[in-house]
Amino acid sequence: MTVEGIVLVVLFAATLVVFGFVVRMLIRTLLLGKPQGGFGDPLRRFWSVIVHVAGQARVLSQPAGLGHFLIFWGFIFITLGTIEHMLGMIIPGFSYTAIFGSAVAGWISLLQDLLALLVLFAIIYSLYRRFIIRPVRLKIDDPAARNEAVFILSLIFILILLMYCIKAIGIVEGTIDESYAPVSRIVSGLFEGRDIDLGLMESVFAWIHHLIIFFFLLYVPFSKHIHILGAIPNIYLRNLGPMGTLSRMDFEDETADKFGNSELRDFTWKQLLDLYACTECGRCQAACPAFLTDKPLSPFRMIHRMRGHLTDERKRLLNSAGDDIEGTPIIPETVTEDEIWACTTCGACMQECPPFIEHVQKIVDLRRYLVMTESRFPSEMQPVFKNMEVNYNPWSMGYSTRADWAEGLDIPLASEKKEFDVLFWVGCSGSFDARGQNISRALSSLLKKAEVDFAILGTEEICCGETARRMGNEYLAQTLIEANIETMKKYSFNRILTFCPHGLNTFRVEYPQFGFERPVIHHSEFLLELVREGRLPAGAVEIKKGAYHDSCYLGRYNDIIDQPRELIKMIDGVSLSEFGRHGKRSFCCGAGGGRMWMEEDIGKRINEERVDESLELGVGDIFTACPFCLTMFEDGLKSRNIENIKVLDIAELMVEAYSAE
Amino acid sequence: MKIIVLLKRVPDTEAKILINQEGTGIRKDGVKFVINTYDEYGIEEGLKLKEKLGGDSKVTVFCLGPEESTEVIRTALAMGADDAVHICDPALESPAPFTTSAVLAKAIKDEGFDIIFCGKQGIDDDTAQVQGGIAEALGIPQVNIASSFELSEDGSRALIGRRIEGGNEKIESALPVIVTCDKGINEPRYASLPGIMKAKKKEIRTRTLADLGFDEMPAAGRSKILKWLPLPKGGECRMVEAEEVSDAVKELARLLREEAKII
Ligand SMILES: Cc1cc2nc3c(=O)[nH]c(=O)nc-3n(C[C@H](O)[C@H](O)[C@H](O)COP(=O)(O)OP(=O)(O)OC[C@H]3O[C@@H](n4cnc5c(N)ncnc54)[C@H](O)[C@@H]3O)c2cc1C
Ligand code: SF4
Ligand code: SF4
Repeated sequence: MTVEGIVLVVLFAATLVVFGFVVRMLIRTLLLGKPQGGFGDPLRRFWSVIVHVAGQARVLSQPAGLGHFLIFWGFIFITLGTIEHMLGMIIPGFSYTAIFGSAVAGWISLLQDLLALLVLFAIIYSLYRRFIIRPVRLKIDDPAARNEAVFILSLIFILILLMYCIKAIGIVEGTIDESYAPVSRIVSGLFEGRDIDLGLMESVFAWIHHLIIFFFLLYVPFSKHIHILGAIPNIYLRNLGPMGTLSRMDFEDETADKFGNSELRDFTWKQLLDLYACTECGRCQAACPAFLTDKPLSPFRMIHRMRGHLTDERKRLLNSAGDDIEGTPIIPETVTEDEIWACTTCGACMQECPPFIEHVQKIVDLRRYLVMTESRFPSEMQPVFKNMEVNYNPWSMGYSTRADWAEGLDIPLASEKKEFDVLFWVGCSGSFDARGQNISRALSSLLKKAEVDFAILGTEEICCGETARRMGNEYLAQTLIEANIETMKKYSFNRILTFCPHGLNTFRVEYPQFGFERPVIHHSEFLLELVREGRLPAGAVEIKKGAYHDSCYLGRYNDIIDQPRELIKMIDGVSLSEFGRHGKRSFCCGAGGGRMWMEEDIGKRINEERVDESLELGVGDIFTACPFCLTMFEDGLKSRNIENIKVLDIAELMVEAYSAE
Repeated sequence: MKIIVLLKRVPDTEAKILINQEGTGIRKDGVKFVINTYDEYGIEEGLKLKEKLGGDSKVTVFCLGPEESTEVIRTALAMGADDAVHICDPALESPAPFTTSAVLAKAIKDEGFDIIFCGKQGIDDDTAQVQGGIAEALGIPQVNIASSFELSEDGSRALIGRRIEGGNEKIESALPVIVTCDKGINEPRYASLPGIMKAKKKEIRTRTLADLGFDEMPAAGRSKILKWLPLPKGGECRMVEAEEVSDAVKELARLLREEAKII
């Protein structure tokens, strides 16, 4: 081995040892978090790594993602070259040609040569985006975030230039086959016929190159590029279940004096791994209704700041033995109360996030602490909680009036029928809100027309608990959930029908946490089923143009996107237009996560943003399949003084289609 | 400091109130009971005072009411009160305010007290009589409808603000005093979960009339509820229509004299 080779081996080994310590420290930091399990199904997980790491599926779902894709793959091929070069320095005579034969080695070289060029362009374009275009996606109030990105990109840029120079010298010296290195051949013009010591030059370039790589290895874990280490395990360990399902809390321990999360160690280790996985791409914030309407919340910033906090805290926490040291509270220094209350839990952030970071659970965990341990929350939430406690609904309405909407309509009660096919879950909006009641009446008239064997719980029904849960009041939510389960268990029925996507989601994915599982169907699916089976005619309306607005909890959370559209299209005379942001990428109405019940006095109102979108596009009337979206649209239109646009639930639209007949 | 807060269990504001068939009270089916809204302000004020004073200050809840009242008492304990006295006796099924005052006063006296906070009125019967009765029975001053409260620097006197027409009034009172609280004096807290958990273990001392040393109903003869009656149905509205306004006026006058017999 040459002296050069020995020095390289020593340096490399030293770097690896330090890197090992760093990784160990990172893992110990993760283990400060609470345990979390449930990572079975290795095949699906490996496949997901292939699709989302190798294939970069989510990254590529936006045009600018191509840059990352190129840098990712380019870097891998460049690293192959780096390895070859380093081994060559250590083992005299080593080369891919010697091992794999000239064909394979040639292809590696060719791909490397071409990809590296694309990477150069990608880097120039990223710098252009960061400095000139400055898209909303990358906006963040911490200049360090951008500087770091620029620093790393510049390093990669330099690495590539060095690689070309090294290969070019190889071409001049005849050690590299120029036909597999078209770009390097052009560069070799720089070195051809010059009176310099090419051997020395090559070794200087190579040393700079390799030292940068070593530096990179040690710098990465302390920068945003830690995502290179964090994202792959995070994608492997991602939530394969339904999105945004909140964890069930345990209230058994009556001596506990803390509920919810106030500091880092309250999160699970997987939630902390999320922080390492963030690529700082900003896709989440570019989709976030709160951020886009100038609220203080940005999911990107939140994760960025929490990771910063993790970095600040870990030394202190790791050095302390056990639990006897107080963690620094996350609120208000790292994340503010205004931020966490601004979230509608719409899930748009999680839908976009390439490494599958879960923002909503973290936000709700922080809310849980504030609500349950500190009783600190926007004051307008208190009457809402109290109403849910006393009258089992967020409106301040007497619980005994819950079934008043059904008076005189001869709607069967579960307590009378005992056994039936479909339990029509009316929900709080359907029971107490004037428009909601109208949907309840519309839907029940359709059910009767189709001769569905159904019943309602009447005054036995109470709030499903979804809102309380997302507002952080898990204790109240569980009280409601358990009471509902008790009630439902008294009757025999096959499925739950609801027109409220929030109820739908909570019955589908959250009630099973409490031991109650029953098929749940949304009225859009059910009505479509009835029309298809010929149990309901589709009807016709006078020409109506309108767009269907996807509710977050229906489309994004539960993948019910086509059914309502198909149903609408079956009605003669309706021409369906589309919002720009629709389907899984729909834009929240602003009501979710308990936001319906909170003041919205910062920034633009989310519902107005959505109404403005509809007006700009001229979509016509608005069709909804969620009573909360309906209310938000009506309010938004009112505040824009628009009277000629109607907002209709799909059940109301169908009833209108019949009455027009 | 021994801080006493009074708590009345009342039907929820949103409950549909119907009078029972015998006319002896309201129908309790379908009615949820809560802490009297104004008493929440009293509880909060008591808790704030305790927090400010620290030391061995203590907040004790007093409630006279049926057995089920323990639920609302626990809520007050969850908010942070230290313990409670629950006066519960079948004979007190629906006591008149004088009786309530006399019983509460005796219980409070037995317990010992430095200051009493309560609501300005019960949101059910709206009599606002109980506090006055207690003040009389205990021989202490009473300041009504307080919108602010603080102790003087040396802690010997109470400084109470009241909203009056066109301004505010500041009253200084000796201790002990009974202060009846109005909306706006504070923002009653929402019981925290650790508070709720702790409340399950806090002591509620139950007292009957006999425990308090009454062998007959106190103040029984002073006032009595004879019968509960629903509000009479509102009259109907009749529109007087005519071609000419003057004719309509004439017709209205005739109706008022001949049918309504009021002019
Ligand atoms: C539906 C109903 C059923 C009841 N059943 C029973 C029963 O079975 N047995 C029984 O013993 N009592 C019972 N009570 C309680 C009793 O009737 C009332 O406490 C009493 O009538 C209060 O009078 P008030 O409304 O004039 O109060 P107000 O004079 O308007 O109340 C003013 C303030 O006095 C204080 N105060 C008033 N009443 C009480 C109280 N009870 N405890 C503590 N502080 C109080 C509160 O601070 C309140 O804000 C019942 C009350 C109601 C509403
Ligand atoms: S859930 Fe919606 S509102 Fe909340 S942070 Fe994510 S995108 Fe923003
Ligand atoms: S949280 Fe996800 S979407 Fe948001 S910046 Fe980080 S990696 Fe991108």
